[in-house]
Amino acid sequence: MTLTDTMRPITEISVTPPGYRHDPGARLRPINWNRVGDDKDLEVWNRLTANFWLPEKVPLSNDLPAWQKLTQEERTLTMRVFTGLTMLDTVQATVGEICQIQDARTEHEEAVYTNIAFMQSVHARSYSSVFSTLTSTPEIDDAYRWAVANDLLQERCKKVLAHYYGDDPLKRKVSSTLLSSLLLYAGFYLPLHFSVHATLTNTADMIRLILRDKAVHGYYSGYKYQRGLETHTAAEQEHMREFTYALLEELYDLELQYSGELYEPLGLMDDVAVFVRYNANKALMNLGYPARFTPEETEVNPEILAALAPGADENHDFFSGSGSSYIIGKAVDTNDDDWDF
Amino acid sequence: MTIISPEAPARTGIGVRKDYHALNAQLNLFASDGSIQFDKDWEAAEEYLRQHVIPNTRTFPTVTGRLDWLVANDYYERAFLEAYTPAFLTGLHERARGAGHRFQTFLGAFKFFASYALKTFDGTTYLEGFEERVVATALFLGRGDEALATRLVDEMLFGRFQPATPTFLNAGKAQRGELVSCFLLRLEDNLESIGRSVNSALQLSKRGGGVALLLTNLRETGAPIKQIENQASGVVPVMKILEDSFSYANQLGARQGAGAVYLHAHHPDILRFLDTKRENADEKIRIKTLSLGVVIPDVTFQLAKENRDMHLFSPYDVQREYGTALSDLSVTEHYDALVADPRIRKTTISAREFFKTLAELQFESGYPYVLFEDTVNRANPLQGWINMSNLCSEILQVNTPSHYDAAIGYEQIGRDISCNLGSLNIAQAFASPDFGATVETAVRALTSVSDQTDIDAVPSIAAGNDASHAIGLGQMNLHGFLASQRIRYGSEEGIDFTDIYFLTVTYHALRASNRIAIERGTTFTGFETSAYADGTYFDKYTERDWQPATERVRTLFAEAGVAIPTRGDWAELRESVRQHGIYNAYLQAIPPTGSISYVNHATASIHPIAAKIEIRKEGKLGRVYYPAPHMTDDNLEFFEDAYEIGYEKIIDTYAAATRHVDQGLSLTLFFRDTATTRDINKAQIHAWRAGIKTLYYIRLRQPALEGTEIEGCVSCAL
Repeated sequence: MTLTDTMRPITEISVTPPGYRHDPGARLRPINWNRVGDDKDLEVWNRLTANFWLPEKVPLSNDLPAWQKLTQEERTLTMRVFTGLTMLDTVQATVGEICQIQDARTEHEEAVYTNIAFMQSVHARSYSSVFSTLTSTPEIDDAYRWAVANDLLQERCKKVLAHYYGDDPLKRKVSSTLLSSLLLYAGFYLPLHFSVHATLTNTADMIRLILRDKAVHGYYSGYKYQRGLETHTAAEQEHMREFTYALLEELYDLELQYSGELYEPLGLMDDVAVFVRYNANKALMNLGYPARFTPEETEVNPEILAALAPGADENHDFFSGSGSSYIIGKAVDTNDDDWDF
Repeated sequence: MTIISPEAPARTGIGVRKDYHALNAQLNLFASDGSIQFDKDWEAAEEYLRQHVIPNTRTFPTVTGRLDWLVANDYYERAFLEAYTPAFLTGLHERARGAGHRFQTFLGAFKFFASYALKTFDGTTYLEGFEERVVATALFLGRGDEALATRLVDEMLFGRFQPATPTFLNAGKAQRGELVSCFLLRLEDNLESIGRSVNSALQLSKRGGGVALLLTNLRETGAPIKQIENQASGVVPVMKILEDSFSYANQLGARQGAGAVYLHAHHPDILRFLDTKRENADEKIRIKTLSLGVVIPDVTFQLAKENRDMHLFSPYDVQREYGTALSDLSVTEHYDALVADPRIRKTTISAREFFKTLAELQFESGYPYVLFEDTVNRANPLQGWINMSNLCSEILQVNTPSHYDAAIGYEQIGRDISCNLGSLNIAQAFASPDFGATVETAVRALTSVSDQTDIDAVPSIAAGNDASHAIGLGQMNLHGFLASQRIRYGSEEGIDFTDIYFLTVTYHALRASNRIAIERGTTFTGFETSAYADGTYFDKYTERDWQPATERVRTLFAEAGVAIPTRGDWAELRESVRQHGIYNAYLQAIPPTGSISYVNHATASIHPIAAKIEIRKEGKLGRVYYPAPHMTDDNLEFFEDAYEIGYEKIIDTYAAATRHVDQGLSLTLFFRDTATTRDINKAQIHAWRAGIKTLYYIRLRQPALEGTEIEGCVSCAL
């Protein structure tokens, strides 16, 4: 290090570990949470850690009686929807979040993605908990074989993966936001619908915990996208806008076909389509773009919309479940004043 | 609490949406002008009755024809109906029909028909509406007393008195669980007691009660067995067995069993006990559905104040050296002696760390409940030591141990605790033409449940009930009533009203129990050694004139025509009680009133509302929205929710009620996610100092992260 180096800001004379890829000779810098450049990173990190949970806390086995009352058709639908969700969470956990680390604008953003990636793995695992609690190994194996063989499901994932492995950081962000805010939600429709109708309520509690996380994940990717976009020229911004709407269109079409196969037999597809459009708009909002669909096209059933609110404010009955409102608290010591009596 | 519920009517395919759910959900979505859509919920209730209930209800041409059919087809018991004449039965049903009862909310109607109404065995057809359920309950509790049955129909239909779920659900039905809400069992430090308790827990769960068990006396991890050191496995494996036992009761067709376990703070396994609720606890020790409670004596607070370590005492050594179970002695009183006694094995933890751990767990899981041991025992009018509470932390009674032989038969039947509950709706009861008679009718109804209950599968419970005839008269709709009178919850006037209201209820409840004792010429067992017999119980009422402190409350009572008992009234009652005794060992307990307050259209218990539009999630109902009772667009400002009101006002309100209530009151504390463990600790200190007896759940509310809310959602607009 030279004398002038000590005068310059540390972020200019060093890189975070992912920077090694581009410049093996650069000095490496450990993450410093005492210098946070973007407060959003800390806010989201705190929210994510407070919301930490594991599927083991949900008494899923209480759903066994409800599961046994479902028809074979409904069970198959549930398993396939959940296998589809597992697929998307696997993509996000192993590629989608990790690949954004290299593009991070701050060192704290890198840390946030590692947290999100871990929680995506927790989500992927939590569907397995539902399966192993409610169903049998042959049924589970069938559902996974179905997922591997289903062309639409494969194509949905690969469309996104192509951009994850591409060379445009902004396209990665758009793809990730669309996956988190659009593709996943068609799968969430089913458990939300169940929870309104008092079926599989503990599973629904778990889905609410997942939703609580997803709302933050989609929002964060979108937020970082907008920060990144600001640094580009108007022409580049216009190009990204066109790219976003085009990808949305492709994914929307795929989603309707994929969800149609699943939900049509139960007569739920019309509602699901509205729900998908609602979430497409939501994804665009996260990315800072105007809605693609009109309010009339996105009038979600009130019972589903009201159930979608990510706030942890359900007044649950403790005797039938553990609820979805508890978080890891902040431990603070009491002092002598508190004990002054 | 509801434990047993019959199955809902046969489900149509899950793909079918219900209009009334959509209407109900609009409560949680603002109208375009920003107002709350109360009318949509009324529509939802109407549509639910029209589309679902009426088409699925079996009707009968005559009352007697209906009753005959129900008895012949094994839906109603025969005996309770035969205590009355056919003409009276017909007349009572007509009286009920003519009262013009209507459900005020969708959830009220939905909950009633989903959980309480009698259905055909195949679950497809309703055989009762609200009126018929009320009449059956009144007839069953009346036991042939036409006047009492008639009064009970009026009290229930006008919403003044509402029996707790087990009573209201089961009374009169041929296929039913018990009418009692709660059971409390103590365990002793031997395998026979543990085995017998698991059996009792199963038996009681099957009958539909919530069961609490006391673990304080079990020897700690590493204690000797047959003098060989490091053998005992402590309380956690017993908790696992109990948790699985309660889950098994689930499979018998009823709703899942529900259980709680209590442990003393100075038991050496206390931290292991708490850690079972950790977010990342190992599966072998994780407790998911069992509720936890911790018994904390005054000395623990004193040690924390002085920032000292707290000693944990081996119950095995205490039993061996003192001949008394740890649960039966005052740890505060014996603390220094136990610390100094070399024969008692002990470990230490920091008292403040203990409280912090407690709060951490409450953040993560809402548990444990807390019982302030010395406060509870100072207020106990009976001889004996109270060492535990129940699943809802409002039952506080003395117990005695049982002894078993090797085949777990009883060598000596001790006394365990049961309690049946019912609550007055404060707004309706206050408007009663005769407030004293309303309280008396409620006390007689609850006493009837105790008299008609004999839990033969668990002799210690039956023995306890025979001896005590304990009942728990509760209250609900305090917040709804205060807000309807434009009084703020926790304000000076709100607390003043709570104080005088509970005083008045206490007077009438005691008088009713005294009248029953006079009529029957008998008292509860142990009356002679109670504070009722020597009159000291009445000191606080006779030593000073207990009247409202505020003009507003004085006017409220005067306008309602509710007389506040004078010192003279109290003195007179004292003499009658000393001479004739009272029939019930315990009279009041304030339960959380989840389900019945929805059906009765009341705010729960004496809590503030959890939200203006409450999002209610239950196993049998799904996700449903409930507007606060009595709330209109004009009085919204008086419906601050519990998170806005804050813990001080809630605790102060409860403290005003607590001094008049012989048992406990379920007190939930509400925190926003910005709170820390220190805030929870401060609330606990405040509660303990204010004379609160028990704390129930900690509930947390975490608003959605800014930018992720659902637009136009009432529950997001906080």
